[in-house]
Amino acid sequence: MSVLDRPLRRLIASSIAIALSAGLFCTAAAAAELRIGTQLKLMTLDPHYADLNENNSLLAHIYERLVNQDASLNPQPGLAVSWTRISENSWAFKLREGVRFHDGAAFTAQDVIYSINRIQTFLKPPSGGFQNYTQNIKSVTAPDPLTVVIETTDAAPTLPLSLTSIFIMHEKKGGFATTEDLNSGSQPVGTGPYKFQSWQSGEGLKLTRNAQYWGGTPAWSDVSFRVIESPAARVAALSTGDLDIADYIPARDVAGLKGRGLTIDSTSAARSNFLQFDVGREQIPGVTDNAGNPIKNPFRDKRVREALRMATDRPFITEKILLGFGTAASQLFPAGLSGTSRKLAVERPNYEAAKALLSEAGFPNGFHVVLAGPAGRYPGDSESLQAVAQNWARIGVATQPVVAPFSVFATQRSSGAYPVWYGGCSGEAVTFCLKAVLASPDPDLGTGSINYGQYQNPAFDEMLAKATALEDGPAREAALAEATEFVMADDPIIPLYHFHLIVGHGQRVSSYAVHPRGWTTAMQALPSAK
Amino acid sequence: MLSIVTRRVSQALLLLLVMSLIGFVGIHSVGNPVFNVVNVETATVEDIRNATIALGLDQPLWRQYFLFMENVVTGDFGTSYVYHLPAFKLLLSKLPATLELAVIAMALAAPGGVLLGLWAGRHQGGAADRAILRGSVLALSIPSFWLSMMLILAGALLTGWFPSGGRGATLSVAGQEWSVLTGDGLRHVFLPALALALPNVALIARLARAGTIEVERQDFIRFCRAKGLSSRRILFRHTLPNISIPLVTIIGMQFGGMLAFAVVVETIFAWPGIGKLLIDSIQLLDRPVVMATLTFISVAFIALNAVVDLLYAVLDPRVRLST
Amino acid sequence: MSIAFIETLRSRMPRGSFPFSKALLGTYILIAFAAPIIAPQNPYDLLQIRGWEASAAPGTLGGDGYIYWLGTDGLGRDIVSTILYGLRISLLVSIISTAVAAVVGVTAGVVAAYFGGWVDALVMRIVDLQLSLPTILVALIAIVTLGPGIDRIILAIIVVQWATYARVTRAVALSEIGKSYLDAVRLLRLPKRRILLRHVMPNSIAPALTLIPIELGHAIALEATLSFLGLGVPIDKPSLGSTVAAGFQYLMTGQYWISLFPGLALLGLIAAINFVGEDTRSKLDPRSKSL
Repeated sequence: MSVLDRPLRRLIASSIAIALSAGLFCTAAAAAELRIGTQLKLMTLDPHYADLNENNSLLAHIYERLVNQDASLNPQPGLAVSWTRISENSWAFKLREGVRFHDGAAFTAQDVIYSINRIQTFLKPPSGGFQNYTQNIKSVTAPDPLTVVIETTDAAPTLPLSLTSIFIMHEKKGGFATTEDLNSGSQPVGTGPYKFQSWQSGEGLKLTRNAQYWGGTPAWSDVSFRVIESPAARVAALSTGDLDIADYIPARDVAGLKGRGLTIDSTSAARSNFLQFDVGREQIPGVTDNAGNPIKNPFRDKRVREALRMATDRPFITEKILLGFGTAASQLFPAGLSGTSRKLAVERPNYEAAKALLSEAGFPNGFHVVLAGPAGRYPGDSESLQAVAQNWARIGVATQPVVAPFSVFATQRSSGAYPVWYGGCSGEAVTFCLKAVLASPDPDLGTGSINYGQYQNPAFDEMLAKATALEDGPAREAALAEATEFVMADDPIIPLYHFHLIVGHGQRVSSYAVHPRGWTTAMQALPSAK
Repeated sequence: MLSIVTRRVSQALLLLLVMSLIGFVGIHSVGNPVFNVVNVETATVEDIRNATIALGLDQPLWRQYFLFMENVVTGDFGTSYVYHLPAFKLLLSKLPATLELAVIAMALAAPGGVLLGLWAGRHQGGAADRAILRGSVLALSIPSFWLSMMLILAGALLTGWFPSGGRGATLSVAGQEWSVLTGDGLRHVFLPALALALPNVALIARLARAGTIEVERQDFIRFCRAKGLSSRRILFRHTLPNISIPLVTIIGMQFGGMLAFAVVVETIFAWPGIGKLLIDSIQLLDRPVVMATLTFISVAFIALNAVVDLLYAVLDPRVRLST
Repeated sequence: MSIAFIETLRSRMPRGSFPFSKALLGTYILIAFAAPIIAPQNPYDLLQIRGWEASAAPGTLGGDGYIYWLGTDGLGRDIVSTILYGLRISLLVSIISTAVAAVVGVTAGVVAAYFGGWVDALVMRIVDLQLSLPTILVALIAIVTLGPGIDRIILAIIVVQWATYARVTRAVALSEIGKSYLDAVRLLRLPKRRILLRHVMPNSIAPALTLIPIELGHAIALEATLSFLGLGVPIDKPSLGSTVAAGFQYLMTGQYWISLFPGLALLGLIAAINFVGEDTRSKLDPRSKSL
C-alpha cells in the first residue's frame, strides 16, 4: 500500500499543478477570445467538399468568396470589388487589390481559376454539391492578374449570385489539393479574417486573428467554435457563461435566457418548411377510407389540397410551437425578400368551409392518411406534424403523424413510401426553391430536384423560365412574384412556416447580426467596449 | 489450456464475422447515407445518384461486403462518409473521452459500492442493511436517461454547480487529449460519471454484501473472531480478500459495459465519446464508422466475456468448459 | 449481464422487506386498467386536445373548467391523462416482451445445458453474438427492418432480451446438472422431457426469475429510448418513457413538469416491480428456503 502511495501522490500533485497552470493560461488568453457554441457540425476542411451550412459557415472565417450576400440576400463585393455583364454569355469580375493569403502569397486571378477548375474537374462525387453553381461555366480566363472573365454556356443573369457559394482557395502548383490533404496534411490557407489553428472533426475549430486582413484587423484575437448539437446543452453552456455566443436557440429557451441577462437576436430564415403531397401517382400508400380500404390518391384533386390547407392552423404553429419565432408561410421565402409576393397572406383556419370543400370533392366523411416527417431536423418539425394532425382531424381527415430520423425519412420518401410529408427548402435565392420544389422535374434543366410529389404545372414552368431569364431588377422580381401567386393558387404544397434563426450572446459581445442564410461567424459579432 | 484458448479465439473470430455481416446488412437496410452527405435541400436527383455511385453504394450488397472485409483484413475500416476521415482513426480520437468517463465513473462506483456492501453485509438484517438494500433496488430502478436529466436539472440548472453537458478543457498527454487533467474538465465529467456510476454502486454493493454474508458465515472467520481480532480487521483483512475475485470480475465486466452502453448518458450530456459516436453514426448511417465502432466494442466485450468464463472454469471445476 | 451479476441477486434477503411495493404495483395495474374511465382527457384523441392550452403550468385552469393538475405538454395534452394512458402502453409493451423473452431464453438455456455438444455451442454462440452487440443497435435494426408500431417494438425487445435469460439459465443449469441428485434422477430412467421440466428447469429458473423485474425495467427504458430516437411508439400515442424523453427539450425553459412527473411515475413503476421481484425471488429461490 505505502509503496503505491508515493507515486500516486506525486501524480495527483503534478496534475493539480498542470490544471492550475492551464487555468491561468486560459484566463490570460481569454481577453479577446470569442467562444461560440454552434449546432453546425464542421465535417471537413475542404471548402469544396459538401455544400452544407455546417461547412460553409465555419470555413467562411478562413476562406472568402468573390461575392458576398447581405442580409437581404443581395450580392455585395467580396474578393471581387465589382462585376459587369460584358455580353449575354459572359461576365467580368474586377478583383480586390492587396489581398494576401495566410501564407503571405498575393491573391490573383489564377486562384479564382484554380478554385473553379477544382470544383468543375477535379472533385469527384460525393463532393459534388458545388457543381450546381459552376455547371454552366464554360471557361474562366484572366486578361490581367486582377480581372477574371467568366464565359457561360447560356445566359446567366445571376452568375454573381452563384459565386456567393464558391470559396476561393490558394492555387497549388502541380495539381489540385485532395480532400484528404486538406483534412489531415497541410494547414488550410485562405484570405479570410481568421487563420486556422486546430480542429477536431465534429467537435470544434480554433482560429486566430489574421492581422494582415485586407478589411482591417479582425475584432477578436482568437475564436473557438465548439460543436454542441444538443440545443439544450448549447443553451445551458451559454447561460452558465461557458460560451459567448450560441446559435440555433430553441424558441422555448428565449425567455429563460433573457431572464439570465443574455441578449437574443433573431431573423426570419431564407427558407420555408411545408407539407408536400404525392400528386403523381394514382395509387399511393398510407391513404385509406375510414374502413381501412385503400382509395385512389385524393391529393390529385385540387379541392382536397385546398381543404387541407384551409384546415391547417399555421398561426398556432408559429405562436404556440415556435413561440413567435417563426412566420406563418404562404410561399417559399419570407415576404419581403427579393422575388417574393406581397399579396399572398396566411388566413386563420376555416374548418366549416374546408369540410364543405371536402364533401364536394367526394369525401364527406374524410379519410385516413399518414403524415410523415423527420424528427428534430428543423425547429418544430415533429410538433408541427402533431398539431396539423389535430387540425385535420377536425374536418374528418384522420391523420397519423409518423416521424423518423432524417436519413431514414429521406430514404423512405425517395422510395415513395409516404402520401404526404414535411419538407423544407433553403437556398441563395427564392428562384432556387421555386425551381426545386414547384417546377416539373426535369433532369436536363435541373428543376424539380425536391419535387418528390411529381407536381407538374406547365403554365407555371413557363412563367418561371421567363422570369429567371430576366436580369436582376424590379421586372424580374415582379415576374417571380406573379409566378408564385399563380402556382400557390393551385395549392401544390401547404407552406407552414419560415422559422426564425435565434442567436443568443453574453455581455462580452455588444451586438450580433443574424444572417438569414443561417451562418454563424465571428465576423457577425462585435465585442463590447470594455 | 492452450487448445481451449485457440478454440476461444477462433470462435470469437467467427462471432465477429457473423456480427459484421448482420451489422452491415442492418445498416444497409436502414437507409441511404447519401442523404446525410449531400444537402438534400439543394442536391439534384443526379447529385444523389452520383454520390451513391461514388460511395460504392450502387454495388450489390454482397460485393460491398467483400470489399469491406478485404479492407478490414488489412486493418482499414474505410473512410467515414460524413467526416471524410479514416473510420478507425476517428474512433480512436473519441476513445480517451469514453475511457476517462468510464474510469471516473468506476472510481466513484467501486469503492462506494464495496464499502456499502461490506457495511450492509456486516450488519445483516439491521437498519443500515435494509436501507442499503432498498436504496440499491431504487438505484437500479431509475432509467438512466431520466437519471441523467434529473442530474442536469438538479446539478446544473437549479444550482449551477456543474455544466449541463459537453467535455471541458483538455490537456494533451501521450498524444491524446484528456479532460480529467484540468479543473474545468473535472467539473464537466462529474455529472455524467455520476449518472453512469449510480447503478453500478448498487450492483457492486449488492455483490459485496452477498459475499460478505457468505464468507462471514464460514469457519475461518469464526476462528478469527475467536482469536479476538477486531471486526474491522476481519472485514478488511480476511473477508474482503475472499470476496475480491467476484468483485473484480464484476467491476471488469461493468467497465466493459460502460464503454459500450454509455450511449444514453453520453448522448444526453453531449459527451463526445464512442457511445455518442456510435449513436450519431447510426443516425447518419455512416457505415464505416458504425462498423469500426461495433467491431471495437465487440472485441472488448468478447475478450472480457472469455476472461470471465475462463475465470469461472478455474474457480469452479463443476462448470464444464465450453464443449 | 454476467453470471457474477446474477450471483449478486442470489444474495439472501430478508423476506417481505418491501411491504408497500405490492400495494403500489397493484395500484399501478389498477390505474392502467381504469385509465379510460378515470382519465380526464383521452390524450390519443386529437379532437379532445386543446392546442391553445399547450405548456400550461401545473394547476392551470383549462378552458372547460378542468384544472390541469400536473400541467400540459408542448401540444396541449393533459399530463395526468398522458401518465395514465402512457402507463398502459409501457406496461403492455414491457410485460408482453419480457414474458416472451423469458420463456424463450430459459428454454434455450436449459436445453443448451442439458444436451451440451453442438446444441450448446450453437445456442451459446448466438447468445454471445447477441450480447456482443449493443442493445440499441439490435433494437434499431429490428425496428427499422420490421417497421414502426407497438407490436414491432415488442418483437424488438424480445430479440434484445432473450439472450440474457439463456446465458444465465444455462450457467445455473450446468452446475445443477453436475449435482449428484440429478444422477439419482437419471438412474430412475425418467424421460428426458420429464427430467428437464420437473428437475432441471425448476432448480435453474430462480436466477431467470430474479432477472425478470430488472429486464422489465430495461424493457420500459428501451422502449423509451427507441421513442427518444424517433423509432419507438407512435408520437401521437406517447408512452411514459416517450413523454419523459419529449420533455427533455422543455427542461431548460423551466417546464420541468413534462418530464418530471411522468419520470416519477416511471421510476415508481419500475421500483415497485423490482421490490416485488425481490420478495418473489427470495420465496422462489430453493436456497433461501433452507435458511
